[in-house]
Amino acid sequence: MPFGMEGKFCKLPWLPPRLTEASAAPGRRDAPSDNAWLWRRLIIAGGLPLVTSLLLVGAATAGLLLVGRFFQANLVTIVYLIPVMLAATWWGTWPAVAAAIAGAAAADFFFYPPYYSFRLDDTQAAIDLLLFLLVALVSGDLASRLRRETETLRHREDELQYLYGFSRRLAACHTVSDLVEAIQDYLSESLGRHTAFFIPAPVTASQSTVANGAPAFIQNQAAAMMKPDAEPSRIIRDETGKSLWLLRNVVSAETVYGVIAVDIGGEPDAAVDERTGRVEAILLEASQTLQRLDIGGAMEEASHRLKDQLLRDAFHGNLSHELRSPLAAIKGSASVLETIASIRDENQALPLVSTITGEAERLDSFIGNLLHAMRVSASDVRPHLSCADPRDIVNAALHRRSRQLAAHEVTSGFDRDLPMVDVDSALVEEACGQLLDNAAKYSPAGSTISVAVKAASGYVNISISDRGAGITGEERAQLGQRSFRGERHRDVVPGAGLGLWIASTFISANHGSIEIMSEGLGCGTTASIILPEAIIDEDTGPNDE
Amino acid sequence: MSKPTNLVLLIDDEPKIRRFIRAGFELHGGFTVQEAEDAAEGLQAATFNAPDLIILDLALPDRRGNEVLDLVRSWSNVPIIILSVEANEEEKVRLLEAGADDYVVKPFGIAELIARSHAALRRYFKTANENPVVVAGPLSIDLVNRTVLLNNNQIKLTRKQYRLLHVLATHLGLVVTHDQLLDDIWSTSVRKNIQYLRILVRDLRQIIEPDPNRPRLLVTESGVGYRLQSKIEDITLS
Repeated sequence: MPFGMEGKFCKLPWLPPRLTEASAAPGRRDAPSDNAWLWRRLIIAGGLPLVTSLLLVGAATAGLLLVGRFFQANLVTIVYLIPVMLAATWWGTWPAVAAAIAGAAAADFFFYPPYYSFRLDDTQAAIDLLLFLLVALVSGDLASRLRRETETLRHREDELQYLYGFSRRLAACHTVSDLVEAIQDYLSESLGRHTAFFIPAPVTASQSTVANGAPAFIQNQAAAMMKPDAEPSRIIRDETGKSLWLLRNVVSAETVYGVIAVDIGGEPDAAVDERTGRVEAILLEASQTLQRLDIGGAMEEASHRLKDQLLRDAFHGNLSHELRSPLAAIKGSASVLETIASIRDENQALPLVSTITGEAERLDSFIGNLLHAMRVSASDVRPHLSCADPRDIVNAALHRRSRQLAAHEVTSGFDRDLPMVDVDSALVEEACGQLLDNAAKYSPAGSTISVAVKAASGYVNISISDRGAGITGEERAQLGQRSFRGERHRDVVPGAGLGLWIASTFISANHGSIEIMSEGLGCGTTASIILPEAIIDEDTGPNDE
Repeated sequence: MSKPTNLVLLIDDEPKIRRFIRAGFELHGGFTVQEAEDAAEGLQAATFNAPDLIILDLALPDRRGNEVLDLVRSWSNVPIIILSVEANEEEKVRLLEAGADDYVVKPFGIAELIARSHAALRRYFKTANENPVVVAGPLSIDLVNRTVLLNNNQIKLTRKQYRLLHVLATHLGLVVTHDQLLDDIWSTSVRKNIQYLRILVRDLRQIIEPDPNRPRLLVTESGVGYRLQSKIEDITLS
């Protein structure tokens, strides 16, 4: 793959353009020799603009001659400024200087008497020409400086764009091997040379290795450099002796992110030496860039993300189906048993059947909770807000949790003129259910759980109060954290500590908040969901007669 | 049901689920159950055996359940009830709009599925022998004379309240989506405004529900729509 870069004019973001071109040049194996090729490039780069600027001056002269000498002499110099400016903006200072001198000479020769001679009789004419030369040189210099600045700006912008693209590609990498591949591609393209990127062994062991085309010998050498105190860079010859490799490690103070290996190729002659120096300079920059982009962090994140994703996918897809299907069969079968007359009449059997149903439902709601928790931790809670009656939400939650609440006395009260709320009903209902669950779990059987839904200046307050264990100040501070469970209850009440965490995430996704109040130990707890009232468009109301 | 036995086609790949559904349906309500374990078998049975009701699981090994729904709906009006594991609200609405008569989310009790099946069958056969009076608990709605009795006393409803009750009554026991209700009650210009529907429902509940704060006749299907229960007992099913 990286060999495909050969002969391609490549982009090198962190070096000035002239170096970029030169560093790409050695990639051309078909050139007779690097030196000759360089010379040719030099002639083309330096000579062509010079010749062309002189030709421009020639063209200006020809034009002026055609128009004739009727042209006022002091206007002639202005025409000669045109080639100077063009040369300055296109090619820089030297061609502009050449154009200025040639222009002054041509003006003197053709347009200042005596004609067809460089001699000047008139002092005024001499001053004219000197003035022209001065103006031409200064404006030529200014123009070429402007050109350089524009180029630098454009270059910097390219560099930023490229780096941005690269870091975006890094961010999109889900596996370490993706990352390595991205870095290899990036470096190969930047250097115009075959480049391999090695990462420390423990990470590679679990990932499939990325083909990098580097010989085993080089790989071993690179592995030996994976130490923070190793030499930062080395040049070694591969075992075939055909090409030279430049190795450089990417390290921060304490960690080694990896080693970059570049095939510099060729015999050790002057050209290769020069190329090595250049590549080394670029690699130094590259390794700094990679550090700046926090390759280490990106790699760690990628492998976490992969594991997380696999687990989540497994659970979301198959696992939850695999777990829920048998539960559906268990609950369904128990529900059929419940309807059979002989079982209904049997005092011993019926409670057993309801136990089966109840436990199946409990397991199912536990799986549901895990799914909710995964949604929350994956930041995948996207509420679909729409106008809803808070009564419906609370009643649905009470209905859905009727089995969990069966041992308690549940009362519910609603304000007379409850406003509507703008929420995702399913999420709020689930949050409400979680709070009901908690109330049932942490208060003694037979005690009262009261649900009150009230309107309060722009808000709807759903409060669930129990007469249970209450909450200490210390516990309160930790409430709402994932997996937090009070010390006192850990061994007594089953649960995973996810309930309030899920509830608060779901409620805040609906622009609401949860408040937990307790008078203290044994004084019960009140959990309130506070939701903003929906804004009803009164003007175009339901219009019912 | 008035018919001697109804043939139910049950398409689900889980044998244990098929087993309890068959047991439940054959023990109660006089159904004959035919089972199919995948979409291909199900479609074939739906074509050749002319079932009175199809119970369709969404997760089939060979084809997605909603494709089966579309295919059956392309030639038949037979009532279809969807079984699914945790279908989200949008999915439920999509299925209902695609022509499903109702859905039941796993895990479910057999009584719930049988109640839905009865409701779907009632609606299906109603079109053939139109009975103008629908009874829902203490309510009786005369669809021809447009009168509503609550505990045998005539009640007065606004036009839109009546329209809402009418649509729900013609789908007695079945869920009706918000869009369906909005389409039916309001002109197209405002039909996407669910606020109006919420307020209309709240007002209607004030009139027909024994306890408007805990509705048991006109019940909400969260995120999907509303359902008019045929009997008050229905909602205590587990």
